[in-house]
Amino acid sequence: MPEVRIIAKNFMDMVASMPAMKLDKLYENGFICEAILRSLPPLAKKYVLQLLHIDVPVAAKLLEEWVLPDGFSKHRVAIDRLVQLRVFVEAADRKNEKTYKVTPTFQRSLQKLLVHGGTLPREPMPSNITVRLPTLEDLEAWALEQWECFLLQLISSSQVEKPSNISSSLMKVFQRRLLSQRDRDAPKLTESGFQFLLMNTNAQLWYIIREYISNSEERGVDAADLISFMLEISFHVIGEAYNINTLTDFQRSIIKDLADLGLVKLQQGRKESWFIPTKLATNLSVSLADSSSRKEGFVVVETNFRVYAYSTSKLHCEILRLFSRVEYQLPNLIVGAITKESLYNAFDNGITADQIISFLQQNAHPRVAERAPSVPENVTDQIRLWESDLNRVEMTESYYYDEFPSRDIFEGACDCAREWNGLLWEDSKKMHMVVKAEVHPYVRDYLRRQK
Amino acid sequence: MPSAPSKLYSDDVSLLVVTLDTNPFFWSTFSVPFSDFLSQVLAFLNSILLLSQLNQLVVIATGCNSCGYVYDSASSKNHVSPTASMPALYSNLLHNLEQFVARDQKLSKPDHDTRGIVPASLLSGSLSMSLCYIQRAFRSGSMHPQPRILCLQGSADGPEQYVAIMNAIFSAQRSTVPIDSCYIGSNNSAFLQQASYITGGIYYKPPQLDGLFQYLSTVFATDLHSRAFLRLPKSVGVDFRASCFCHKQTIDMGYVCSVCLSIFCERHDKCSTCGSVFGQAQKDVTSANSKKRKA
Amino acid sequence: MSKIPERPLNGDVEDDDEDEANDGLEAWERTYAEDRSWEDLQEDESGLLRPIDDTAIYHAQYRRRLRALASTAATARIQKGLIRYLYVVVDLSKAASERDFRPSRMAVIGRQVETFIREFFDQNPLSHVGLVTIKDGIAHCLTELGGSPESHIKALMGKLECSGDASLQNALELVLGYLNQIPSYGHREVLILYSALSTCDPGDLMETIQKCKRSKIRCSVIGLAAEMFICKHLCQETGGTYYVALDETHFKELILEHAPPPPAISEYATANLIKMGFPQRAAEGSVAICTCHEEAKIGGGYTCPRCKVRVCELPTECRICGLTLISSPHLARSYHHLFPIVPFDEVSPSSQNDPHNSLPNICFGCQQSLLTQGSKPGLSVTCPKCKQQFCLDCDIYIHESLHNCPGCESFRHSKSVIAAQ
Repeated sequence: MPEVRIIAKNFMDMVASMPAMKLDKLYENGFICEAILRSLPPLAKKYVLQLLHIDVPVAAKLLEEWVLPDGFSKHRVAIDRLVQLRVFVEAADRKNEKTYKVTPTFQRSLQKLLVHGGTLPREPMPSNITVRLPTLEDLEAWALEQWECFLLQLISSSQVEKPSNISSSLMKVFQRRLLSQRDRDAPKLTESGFQFLLMNTNAQLWYIIREYISNSEERGVDAADLISFMLEISFHVIGEAYNINTLTDFQRSIIKDLADLGLVKLQQGRKESWFIPTKLATNLSVSLADSSSRKEGFVVVETNFRVYAYSTSKLHCEILRLFSRVEYQLPNLIVGAITKESLYNAFDNGITADQIISFLQQNAHPRVAERAPSVPENVTDQIRLWESDLNRVEMTESYYYDEFPSRDIFEGACDCAREWNGLLWEDSKKMHMVVKAEVHPYVRDYLRRQK
Repeated sequence: MPSAPSKLYSDDVSLLVVTLDTNPFFWSTFSVPFSDFLSQVLAFLNSILLLSQLNQLVVIATGCNSCGYVYDSASSKNHVSPTASMPALYSNLLHNLEQFVARDQKLSKPDHDTRGIVPASLLSGSLSMSLCYIQRAFRSGSMHPQPRILCLQGSADGPEQYVAIMNAIFSAQRSTVPIDSCYIGSNNSAFLQQASYITGGIYYKPPQLDGLFQYLSTVFATDLHSRAFLRLPKSVGVDFRASCFCHKQTIDMGYVCSVCLSIFCERHDKCSTCGSVFGQAQKDVTSANSKKRKA
Repeated sequence: MSKIPERPLNGDVEDDDEDEANDGLEAWERTYAEDRSWEDLQEDESGLLRPIDDTAIYHAQYRRRLRALASTAATARIQKGLIRYLYVVVDLSKAASERDFRPSRMAVIGRQVETFIREFFDQNPLSHVGLVTIKDGIAHCLTELGGSPESHIKALMGKLECSGDASLQNALELVLGYLNQIPSYGHREVLILYSALSTCDPGDLMETIQKCKRSKIRCSVIGLAAEMFICKHLCQETGGTYYVALDETHFKELILEHAPPPPAISEYATANLIKMGFPQRAAEGSVAICTCHEEAKIGGGYTCPRCKVRVCELPTECRICGLTLISSPHLARSYHHLFPIVPFDEVSPSSQNDPHNSLPNICFGCQQSLLTQGSKPGLSVTCPKCKQQFCLDCDIYIHESLHNCPGCESFRHSKSVIAAQ
């Protein structure tokens, strides 16, 4: 399953793979520098801050001296990441020793940001305009609702009461890897589709954004522009309204899509229209960092295989349904049971035991999250056992030989197959044998030669 | 006394509570003007917020007559005047700081400063407030950022705050909150040395104030997660001297009441704290002690 | 007094009995049988399950406790026996292998003694603890009086094996011999953790008890089996306490009751002034020859303020000049006993509605809003000295852990008032 590990980190790889010219152009924007900085591992962040005001190249040896022996692998990861993203430029000094220096554009932008602060290209709505803005709670609820609605539409277009305005072509792009449609059947979730559902919101959001960006070239949009706008949006203040007229045409076309995803809420004033960033938007840059999973869980798993999920979300219920039998539902509580049948269903859909367990662990209710393990051992063991049950029979393509003319030839053929490490089974009495498919040509050649 | 055990931190999200010494008596006699110092500190504070969106920053001013919160990045009242030329942090903090300094000045009694002694800043107050704030963060659930305290202190220790500061240090140790201290005054601060040593924080006295930002960002911007991997300044010794209860002097040798452990710089007949009357002479004690050692 | 309970040898059968005896509960039900967490939930009008808001009740309980404490402190001037010499006697006779505590009495004792020793040194920084074990009818000194929790714990964990009978008299005689040597200002105490239901002594135990009484040794016993007359008599005579633990949590409660310093009783120990030095800690990485191991050491040691000689650990006695060396934070740990902060006054929500009451409605300590949802003022407290307002959470934190009033500490004016008192 090479495509499975779709997480936000890939986005930074996307940035890293951009040509140096484009990166330099991106780094002229202070916000992008900030977002990049925040996405770095903790040690790398520190190095950037430490070298920020140093204009001469610093020897790699000197950097290494700051690190304790324990942290050396972390140090390497940090430096590699910095060089990859061209935040550090590597060079050699006169003594041919490796040196590092912060990329001048990045350095300038970040220095400016530190001293003068970041200024958005637009200001929030002045307070003298009386437009009723939603409260932060309402906004968050709206954003989550919008997002879940989008997700539901993504996985089963039929179930949605109020479909969003995302064009069906764009929806197709998102669904490309998550759904598979055979002939005229209803589209079915693929393996990665199920795994997508088990990811946390930020990772899902990044997956969608990544698809959105990688598809941009087809729509005739510059990926760098798109990335910089996305990151810029994430630095707006939640709940403040910003005038849409401050956006370029290109940005205005994007903001509509973002509204459908729940990233911004559009509000029509008397004369002008405004957009209000939601928590989802500001989370974009947060979730780039490792600390993205700071969210309280809601699932309690008991040793009797009962699952209690304190949630009002329809989506959570759907996710639980993927691998458990939902028994009761109260307004904010879902009670289910993990059974052999429900798990076999999940395995059939390509969900692995580890994914289910890590979902249960990551979303453990704070009450049980402190316990170690947060999911009872007997449950995790049983889930794994049931999975390995399915893997009891292993398929190997093979060839079956019989009716050997003589015992010598039979034994010779056995030896030949053994030499190639492909003899699966032999019955010397009746002179039958089975060999692996890839060894078949050699055995066939051997037999031909015997004739 | 062992210093606090090192805890494992899974990520670098921090809650930094900074106590900022605004003692006018110190700054008026110090070689560097407060404004220069402040501009470097502000850049440092801004860089903390820059490192992660989830980082939280609280600044408490340590005045000479009072203490007060001057900045809280989590507060919703932060949008006073979002001017385009200055970050919100600067405008808010400076605005509140000005108000605080003016209020602090008004509180000072005219007869206080005539003696020519520089009164100490109320570090015990700002430490206590920081700890209360951090407890609030602990209460907010299991997803709270990792808290630490940074004391930016210039004025000398106030021996009369000894007990209060020690209480604060122990409370910080119990809740594993490291106290970092950056001391810019002329001598070392015994209080802050002890605070950092006991709580597992870093005590550092920058050799010069020109590149203060560099020192701050190199040493004190290090989050608790990264501290496990980096070489940070080692302690240059800790001054474990105590203050006596009778004259509030800092002493390295003294008399301790066996009942309540009060410290005195000279012999008394009766303990002024617990009222015990001291009986036997000192000699008996030492002889008993040595007997025990032989046993 | 010589009844040694003979239990059936087949421990396995007993185990099964245990499981069935537990009211027929399933294993997963038993994990909740104690904390009854389902009672914390209630259903609101829209059918949502919510945790019950019990902060107000919790706070009321806490305040009652605080007031009770404050009233006892006000009647008597606080004199606590802060310098304690305590022997913990652990009964490792055959009775300690009983499995009525899980996994066994001995394991439970080991676990709880560890927590107790840590807590004890946290609360009594200048005190000393020693460990004595009783086994095969004789008492054995496991560790001598000392101030390092780690060495005690390590010694005990290595010796957790039981056999033979218990002997109270042998244990008391041994401890008596040690405790008679300590300085007169120290409080002598013995804490016996007794599993056996009998004592097998070489002489007259009553006489030993009288000796303990004369030596002013306070003996306390925590039993793990049933109440015994001799233990009760011992404790009554010497001024200690006697309890029998019902289960592990109760045992923990009982043992931790011995951690805070007992009130000082002048007849038990005479007050005295002790000359002490507060050494400085040397820089990390400095090299010096220490007097305790007589070898050159790299790293932080301490320097005696009188003769400038280097020692490795505190508290100790200077080998050269005999000065008692301690680190001052050790002393300071107990100062909050001496200067307790007064209980805060409760502010009723109604009084805040006064127009001329200009309280800021945020907690002075943590800046939390004191308004409840719907912006009505909630419960809060004020410090009677500095008149600052605090939220209930800060109130508890300030009195239980911080022991400073942030309000009083951050105003010079109020400080000078306190100093003048």
